[in-house]
Amino acid sequence: MSDLVIEARGLDKRFGRVKALDGLDLGVTAGEVHGFLGPNGAGKSTTIRILLGLARASGGSVTLFGRDPWTDAVELHRRVAYVPGDVSIWPNLSGGEAVDLIGRLRGGTADARAYAERKRRLVDAFQFDPTKKGRAYSKGNRQKVALVAAFATPADLYILDEPTSGLDPVMEAVFDAEIRRVAAEGATVLLSSHILSEVEQLCDRVSIIRAGKTVETGTLASLRHLTRSEVSFAAGPTDAQLASMPSVHDLETTGGRVRFTADNEQLAGLLPALAHLGVQGLVIAPPSLEELVLRHYGDAAK
Amino acid sequence: MTALLRQRARRDRVQLAVWVLCTGLLAFVTANAVGTTYGDTEERVGIMRLAVANPSILLLRGLPQGTSLPAFVFFQIFTYLALLAALMSTFLAVRHSRAEEESGRAELISATPAGRIRPTVATIVHGVLANLVLGVAVTLGLVTGGMPVDGSLVAGLATTAVGVAFLAVGLLAAQFAHTSRGANSISVALVLLAFLLRGVGDARGTPSADGLRITSAWPSWLSPIGWAQHVGAFTANDPTPLLLCAGLALLCGGAVFALQSRRDSGASLLPGVAGRADARPWLRGPFSLAWRLQWPTIVAWCVGGALFGLVAGALSGVVVQAAEENPDLASTLQTLVPGKGTVTQVLISAMFGLVGFVAAACAAQGVIRARQEEAGGTAELLLATPLGRVRWLACYLLLGLVAIGLVLLSAALASTGAVFASGDDEAHIGESFAAAAAQIPAALCYLGVLALVFVLVPSITAALGWTLLGAGVFLGTFGGLIDLPRWARDLSPFTHTPVVLSAEADLSGAAWLVVVAVAAASVALVVMRRRQLH
Repeated sequence: MSDLVIEARGLDKRFGRVKALDGLDLGVTAGEVHGFLGPNGAGKSTTIRILLGLARASGGSVTLFGRDPWTDAVELHRRVAYVPGDVSIWPNLSGGEAVDLIGRLRGGTADARAYAERKRRLVDAFQFDPTKKGRAYSKGNRQKVALVAAFATPADLYILDEPTSGLDPVMEAVFDAEIRRVAAEGATVLLSSHILSEVEQLCDRVSIIRAGKTVETGTLASLRHLTRSEVSFAAGPTDAQLASMPSVHDLETTGGRVRFTADNEQLAGLLPALAHLGVQGLVIAPPSLEELVLRHYGDAAK
Repeated sequence: MTALLRQRARRDRVQLAVWVLCTGLLAFVTANAVGTTYGDTEERVGIMRLAVANPSILLLRGLPQGTSLPAFVFFQIFTYLALLAALMSTFLAVRHSRAEEESGRAELISATPAGRIRPTVATIVHGVLANLVLGVAVTLGLVTGGMPVDGSLVAGLATTAVGVAFLAVGLLAAQFAHTSRGANSISVALVLLAFLLRGVGDARGTPSADGLRITSAWPSWLSPIGWAQHVGAFTANDPTPLLLCAGLALLCGGAVFALQSRRDSGASLLPGVAGRADARPWLRGPFSLAWRLQWPTIVAWCVGGALFGLVAGALSGVVVQAAEENPDLASTLQTLVPGKGTVTQVLISAMFGLVGFVAAACAAQGVIRARQEEAGGTAELLLATPLGRVRWLACYLLLGLVAIGLVLLSAALASTGAVFASGDDEAHIGESFAAAAAQIPAALCYLGVLALVFVLVPSITAALGWTLLGAGVFLGTFGGLIDLPRWARDLSPFTHTPVVLSAEADLSGAAWLVVVAVAAASVALVVMRRRQLH
């Protein structure tokens, strides 16, 4: 037995002739917050539906807590909380009713007082009106229904599919706090996203997928080694000299600023040259996850 | 303005075409059928005397205005034409007003130079045009059915007038209600109230000396359908009462503009109803959820079943007399149901055959609901909890079973109540329940087969469900009348519904229906184990 809560190897999923997943690998260890990154259509939601036993893999192997999510779905779901990417709720049920129903189905309401307390705290924190009917909720509020339902009952594994795509920044902060709380309690979290900043702040490790394949897995620190930093400064009559330096890549002048990228290990060597040029307004930014992903999606041809 | 009108016409083109065609066809078929079935003046005199003497018939028909063939047609069908026009108009009004505001699309339009008022004007013009077309369809239907042109024109105009009045009523309801559901409920209730008021007015009216005409009582004059009925098409041919319809339309229209120019877009005079912050304790599993989501629909189907049951019970005594006077009527009834029995038994079987359609429709809708949950994404929320797919579907089937039982039970109870009230012989009481029970196999068959469709080819569940139901109803009802070959009629589950009230009831067909239902449902549940969510 490994301590992998989620283990997928060579996962395939075909819809007719379309390959949604093409040999995807994913390993999430117990107790970690794992970012699951990729653009829309990369196969994130398909993977999550397979992990939940809502869809069946066409090939490859997948286990959740060491068991098959397709055949053992009911037992596994006692330990899993899920927030879908596009939450639909019942139009004639109020949000509070939907939360209670899901909580009861998951068996998390046995201790009625503790459950009521958690629900009340979450409703307050997310500034959510539980008395509105489902048809009256906006996308963000439907998402809050699923989030409150997910966090109101304890779980060993939280599977969250783009959970903050409809939330405003204040609510994102509430969401971050909840993730930190369940992670501190020892739960495992799989957090899919194409908004990289939220993953950057929360996740221990990330997997980047593209067109149904895992293209990168690792801690953020280990992935940072893979990319270059961006250097920029106010434009002056100096571009020609920079262009001749071998460690300068992608040189361009836009919006009155000169920009180029450089490998991190070369940066120290570049600084004296920049100082010699007397540049103004120098900025050296670490690579954001946008760049990490862009590297894998933007350079498809290489 | 033209753009708004064109958008409305385009959006409604199929829906309105169906309403107009069906209403025109109804006028044509009735005019035609009455001419064929009751061509004889003596027959019509007999039936009209019977009707005038029986308030329950007047409630469900119209205002007797003599026994000429066209007047008889107007008596038979006009209130229903008016009812269709009224419903078409209120749905149209709400669809283009409150529903648009609720969805937020109205905001998109109001932000353009169209503003807040012009869309409403466009809806009124659109609705009036639709009702004019409807009036023309009714006139054409009646004329091609062999009715005189002048009276047909008056009847068509009266239909239009009722529609326009309720167009304004619907728009006014949309000012009050917060949701389109609410606005539709208010306006449908008002339409039914109008139908009922005129029914009560006619039923409590004063018969003429020869027993062939009725002067309606005051409640009739509270109803737009009642006003329109008083044009007396084919007899008096006097469109003056339609001014009342026009007056109501102007009054409601004025109120609509007054209210709309004062309120915010999206706001309503009646506040939206808040839901519960916490679920009731019993809402804790897939079955209770299915019940919570479907009970209003099930209750509506039960009311439909109860209405048919009421008619079956109330009319059984009346029709026995009629059939004694009119052997043709008795033989027509005999063709509707196989087997033999007294006229009463045949009538109860026939009416409960209709109840059987309602029960089957209710069962089909339950399965279609499961598909809607799946397609809409709410099933995903449920099935991500410790709830198995098989149990989820089984709960829907169980609720379908319960719904069939409730519909049939309410029909049997209503029928029994009506028998008691009419002071008829009490032998009919047990017969109502037996006739209701006989409808179970066909309804079960729809439940099971549609469950199998849902599991195997989910995307066509709704379309195939209603098609199978419509085909079954058509073959079951008209198969005998239009002499279809035996095998074609046998395709309909309803053909195999046993006639338990006849002496030698044949239950083998029912047994086969149950076998098919159970087999289909079992296969569905087994396959569901291996089925993905689509």
